[in-house]
Amino acid sequence: MFLLLPFDSLVVNLLGISITVLFTLLLVFIIVPAIFGVSFGIRKIYMKTLLKIFQWATLRIERGAKEKNHPLYKPYVNGIIAKEPTSLEEEIKEIRRSGSGKALDTPEFELSDIFYFCRKGIETIMDDEVTKRFSAEELESWNLLSRTNYNFHYISLRLTVLWGLGVLIRYCFLLPLRIALAFTGISLLVTGTTVVGYLPNGRCKEFLSKHVHLMCYRICVRALTAIITYHDRENRPRNGGICVANHTSPIDVIILASDGYYAMVGQIHGGLMGVIQRAMVKACPHVWFERSEVKDRHLVAKRLTEHVQDKSKLPILIFPEGTCINNTSVMMFKKGSFEIGATVYPVAIKYDPQFGDAFWNSSKYGMVTYLLRMMTSWAIVCSVWYLPPMTRQPEEDAVQFANRVKSAIARQGGLVDLLWDGGLKREKVKDTFKEEQQKLYSKMIVGNHEDRSRS
Amino acid sequence: MGSAHSVPAEMRALADRTGFTSEQIEHLHRRFRQLSRDQLTIRKENFDSIPDLEFNPIRAKIVHAFFDKRNLRQESSGLADEINFEDFLTIMSYFRPIEMNMDEEQLDRFRKEKLKFLFHMYDSDHDGKITLQEYRNVVEELLSGNPHLEKESARSIADGAMMEAASICVGQMGPDQVYEGITFEDFLKMWQGIDIETKMHVRFLNMETIAHCY
Repeated sequence: MFLLLPFDSLVVNLLGISITVLFTLLLVFIIVPAIFGVSFGIRKIYMKTLLKIFQWATLRIERGAKEKNHPLYKPYVNGIIAKEPTSLEEEIKEIRRSGSGKALDTPEFELSDIFYFCRKGIETIMDDEVTKRFSAEELESWNLLSRTNYNFHYISLRLTVLWGLGVLIRYCFLLPLRIALAFTGISLLVTGTTVVGYLPNGRCKEFLSKHVHLMCYRICVRALTAIITYHDRENRPRNGGICVANHTSPIDVIILASDGYYAMVGQIHGGLMGVIQRAMVKACPHVWFERSEVKDRHLVAKRLTEHVQDKSKLPILIFPEGTCINNTSVMMFKKGSFEIGATVYPVAIKYDPQFGDAFWNSSKYGMVTYLLRMMTSWAIVCSVWYLPPMTRQPEEDAVQFANRVKSAIARQGGLVDLLWDGGLKREKVKDTFKEEQQKLYSKMIVGNHEDRSRS
Repeated sequence: MGSAHSVPAEMRALADRTGFTSEQIEHLHRRFRQLSRDQLTIRKENFDSIPDLEFNPIRAKIVHAFFDKRNLRQESSGLADEINFEDFLTIMSYFRPIEMNMDEEQLDRFRKEKLKFLFHMYDSDHDGKITLQEYRNVVEELLSGNPHLEKESARSIADGAMMEAASICVGQMGPDQVYEGITFEDFLKMWQGIDIETKMHVRFLNMETIAHCY
């Protein structure tokens, strides 16, 4: 036992020194730049290295699979069946034409009409647009995360070793580092905003509040190793406006708020989120609603309008889709925020799925599991485009305005512009949509039937 | 995800029985898992998760067709409560496109099967005949989206069509003859000379042969 003593103190000394060095590095390379908003470019180098490794890994899997004649899952981004783009009328005419050869100008109901609907029905059962959007986007190259690889087999020793090394780095080195950073960021946010809250209202308070918020969001961005590229920063939202963006995950808030000073809108939660929310509102006016108030649309609209009309207040950040979409498309925007009549500043956020899938499938994963997945990915790479501001024209209503903004965001981010309601992830289709198709068909048959009986 | 794929021998048996290629079966299996939420069977409720299907006026009949035991090639009749992947493939195989290398007999059998599928869709009480009431039901469903349409119009359309069907099948009827309903043979007669094979199929996209991986 006594023989171990000198080694003991050596070990303790080494440990002490390494921890000090680690913390100094942390401070110098991560926290100080976060405070001042500068960057050493370390993350970009990290990203480039990772890309090279992924490319090598992908080639290796392809080669290994060919050698062993192993079937690989092939991605199907555009659907697996060839849907013919003909319309209802054309198709039915064609079916009838190839049929009894009766005169085409007396369309009545025929047994063959059912073919069209039958086939369409089976096609949608085989493959439909909307459900595809809600599962995580599928990749073409492997990013060394087994959660995104459907046929993770033992392909080669080198690849498995690399993957194992990746797991070790991610879970034993990056994860504790990130958790420490996140903890620092959140506690600084809470204490900072509480302290600033005690100051009297004025320019000093505003200045400090802005910088406390920005600093803490930047630390959180580094905690997730998010590598963000901002485009067109001259279009950033100004006071008295509403900032509107597409929604993929709760991280969107951190990404946008680390580059600009916004007023948040949301429901008050309990627990840690609630503590953060209450602290933040002490330093600057965010718009938090009680759970009961959220249902009352008029109240929500009134408070938002009041906030927006006060030019000294910050731009509001809103995600009008209402839920997280998997970042390949933009779904229907809820019209509430577009009725208020303020200038809308659209923002498009597009994540690069090569590094880690940022989509939060809230029916599959809880918030804690999701954050854990985020923190054990390699990095989160995304691009943010600030689009020029839009206002509602006099002849369009809120829904049309919302669709216009949505198209602009979809076009910029390279996402597909879909008409469907994001709420479909959980609910069923509204009956008005259902009737369209039926109306068209019955108009075809009955309209002509009535004409005939009249003549 | 890592869940087990079909063992190749099983897959070959499925491919032989239903006529799909193993690639198509893999895709359909993934779709099946998506619809069933990773369970082994699908129930009627699982079809509610397809929003595009709501557009379709005969949605109920299509979903019903999946659970119809006559379509599942089981000896009994009636409705199954849930279907597994094999049953799913069996129903999908009714919509396979015709292949170039099919001979006359195969083509004829194929066509009969597709028509039988349709016949079962019309014949909702499983008695082997499409009666006037069942015909009316189908027309009403197809035209149900139009709020301006009165029940009478739908009915008269159905009656007119049924009379025409009767004239094809039975020829001229006497005033006191009653037409029971369209049997399957009559149904086949109505479709003689009409090329339905190209109308009742779903075509798979040709996948690239280059191997991609995740």
